[in-house]
Amino acid sequence: MGLGLLASRAMRPLRNSHSSVFLRTIVSKPELQSAESSAAAQAPPEPDLPPRTPVGGARIHFPNPEDAIEVFVDGYPVKIPKGMTVLQACEVAGVDIPRFCYHSRLSIAGNCRMCLVEVEKSPKPVASCAMPALPGMKIKTDTPVAKKAREGVMEFLLMNHPLDCPICDQGGECDLQDQSMAFGSDRGRFTEMKRSVVDKNLGPLVKTVMTRCIQCTRCVRFATEVAGVQDLGMLGRGSGEEIGTYVEKLMTSELSGNVIDICPVGALTSKPFAFKARNWELKGTETIDVTDAVGSNIRIDSRGPEVMRIVPRLNEDINEEWISDKTRFCYDGLKRQRLNDPMIRDADGRFKAVTWRDALAVVAEVALQAKPEEIVGIAGRLSDAESMMALKDLLNRMGSNNVWCEGTGTQPSADLRSGYIMNTTISGLEKADVFLLIGTQPRVEAAMVNARIRKTVRANNAKVAYIGPATDFNYDHQHLGTGPETLTELAEGRHPFCSAISNAKNPVIIVGAGLFEREDKDAIFATVEAIAKKHNVIRPDWNGLNVLLLNAAQAAALDLGLVPESTNSIESAKFVYLMGADDVNLDKLPNDAFVVYQGHHGDRGVYRANIILPASAFSEKEGTYVNTEGCTQQTLPAVPTVGDARDDWKIIRALSEVAGLTLPYDSVGGIRTRIRTVAPNLLNVDEREPATFGPSVKPEVTGKMDTTPFKSAVENFYMTDSITRASKIMAQCSAMLLKK
Amino acid sequence: MAMKSALKAIRERGLGTFFRELKEEGFLRALLDGNLMSLSLLLQTKLHNRGATLVGVDKFGNKYYEKLEGTQFGRHRWVEYAEKSRYNASQVPAEWHGWLHFITDHTGDELLMLKPKRYGVEHKENLSGEGEEYIYHSKGHALNPWQRDWSRYQPWQPTKTE
Repeated sequence: MGLGLLASRAMRPLRNSHSSVFLRTIVSKPELQSAESSAAAQAPPEPDLPPRTPVGGARIHFPNPEDAIEVFVDGYPVKIPKGMTVLQACEVAGVDIPRFCYHSRLSIAGNCRMCLVEVEKSPKPVASCAMPALPGMKIKTDTPVAKKAREGVMEFLLMNHPLDCPICDQGGECDLQDQSMAFGSDRGRFTEMKRSVVDKNLGPLVKTVMTRCIQCTRCVRFATEVAGVQDLGMLGRGSGEEIGTYVEKLMTSELSGNVIDICPVGALTSKPFAFKARNWELKGTETIDVTDAVGSNIRIDSRGPEVMRIVPRLNEDINEEWISDKTRFCYDGLKRQRLNDPMIRDADGRFKAVTWRDALAVVAEVALQAKPEEIVGIAGRLSDAESMMALKDLLNRMGSNNVWCEGTGTQPSADLRSGYIMNTTISGLEKADVFLLIGTQPRVEAAMVNARIRKTVRANNAKVAYIGPATDFNYDHQHLGTGPETLTELAEGRHPFCSAISNAKNPVIIVGAGLFEREDKDAIFATVEAIAKKHNVIRPDWNGLNVLLLNAAQAAALDLGLVPESTNSIESAKFVYLMGADDVNLDKLPNDAFVVYQGHHGDRGVYRANIILPASAFSEKEGTYVNTEGCTQQTLPAVPTVGDARDDWKIIRALSEVAGLTLPYDSVGGIRTRIRTVAPNLLNVDEREPATFGPSVKPEVTGKMDTTPFKSAVENFYMTDSITRASKIMAQCSAMLLKK
Repeated sequence: MAMKSALKAIRERGLGTFFRELKEEGFLRALLDGNLMSLSLLLQTKLHNRGATLVGVDKFGNKYYEKLEGTQFGRHRWVEYAEKSRYNASQVPAEWHGWLHFITDHTGDELLMLKPKRYGVEHKENLSGEGEEYIYHSKGHALNPWQRDWSRYQPWQPTKTE
């Protein structure tokens, strides 16, 4: 008996009496041994239907129980809600229908014809992706008719498809390759010449080999529906049909990399990844992205010590299945400008590599000489919660409490969690019908949040209003104003847009974290809260007041209470500990101050540093991050650290020991135990912790808003942190794609 | 024994010829060295080669002899190394190896035609013990002066600032 047969016997529900199970003799056919069980075996066989599980764990949600209809897939009854297509019904029934053009997040095109199935009483096979399921429909997916239909479609698709799988980057993860193996014929009858199509230049990210295109139009639909750019389209008819930009034009979307994933063949592939690796030699590590505050779920594909590519991971609550181009293509920055040795600046201003022992001894000596109020610690925008906790603990032991995270401004308020996270949640934005964006440009600050807003605008015609400097959106919006005066008008109810907010069922206000840097931020936030209160934005069942953070470390830093004691501590600092902080303004720092830079890239922060301690990047360490909606997530190490670099928290722990102020933990578990006492929500990984109190408990603010208009928080979408600034691909993108 | 056969050679071929041959072989240099051992070895070789046919000379100057009559079968091919003092078997290049070890009857000169032009590397003797700089080191070996760099990242280069 073969293994397969054994397995199928084990999986099949037992039809025989139980005696044959328990009293099993060592013969292959127990029916022959006992008369009782042989009688049972002769009982009329019921239809052999192995229990089916939905494809990919597909779940169905019945919005309205009366609308459930029953269809039969291969004789197996399934209950589905009305309006589902035949293909979805088959998925629920556990039958995977081959498809090329159908994508669950895009509109239905029905032009590849691969999903043909036989439906009883239908004269022809039907395209299941475009056919709504009707009650009592009898769908047959493995009849000779269906098989022949698929085989024929496959033969037509392969007619004009080049046989260049060995040099194709999609090889190994190609839908056409897989499905032609599974459903195609073993021979073709095509003897003429194959057609060829001119390749299009879509920019520095997407490589096109248009001869391979099978005209599924997934990329066209993605560009128009999700990315919101009208760049791609179909030209021509029949065999002259091709995908392209109408005029020679680059694809200028911050989500353009996703067309690489949705392309079922190798027509659109990643340009930086071209000919670098095969997908079967890569090791995937499921981790999260830190280049913006969204915390997109990604998979880092690495080969040996090298990150080869970054692809998205499905997370319905955060990034669905898309990621931004910055997330996807920043990885070459991880291989450039890396700090790999501890270095000390000599008297003549040159850096010299030293051992960890010497470096830590010097840092500890200087730190212990400085007065407590002269010690300052700044965490960078990519720091993880563990290292920020260690930094804060170390500085507190030295007697200083001047520790903060860059980007949170001079006086961050970490008192109310609702004041700095996205209370509606990213997926909750889909319920909204009016958006008011204050000083934020989600398209560059958080591309995935912008994609969610665009989805909402498309789905339920939500109105979008924007206050801030002129910028381009990929959906209709009203530009209300550029600065705080408009806020005042809205708060006082004088603005015409007030009625739209008041009449909205689920209004959403999104405030940009760029406003944290303003001096009058308390007054601005008070005004925003007044608007929210006036227009009933915060209700028991709906919290529409959101802050959109800018970088990955911010939320965790505020959760951990990284709030500086004094606002101008930099001006009198003698010892500054920069933990990956590159964008902090050090102009006012005294010249005799000693600056320690701990980080992974030789970026802006290095140039003022007296000593460099090399740390690990997000792809090399296990770290906790909180995204802008307050969801805790963890990165996992995909590749080893470079050179002599160490994890951030380990460096600080070692320094504390050298300085004689040993921190009471020496493992990640130890730090997490410490974090539990400060911010227990950071330990509930992959869970979103909502804020407990709304802004109603906030004390009154007596400040006046400055009339200076809001500034844009992100100058260059492609280069926001040390990793992306080191990346060549990002430099190319910003040179070619950003509008001058 | 050696003396006796040397005398025999002188008697057979005349003193002049004998000395000319010895001179060619660097005998006098060996004599000046005072190294009697190498002197006697040289003489022995010289005498052994008598009556043998010189089949070929490779590019290092090693001479390959064959003598079919009067020798034991299996000892009828031999090499006289160009290097008289520090010779070793690895000085025989690949093309002559087969002939010398009775693997083939093709001489090295014939087999040289088969050597691939594009990628056939020059023969190199085994230099173990001659010093680290002479020995072969793999591309990743720390002593290889052209050691390959496998690091997959580019480190930040400190530049003088301010």
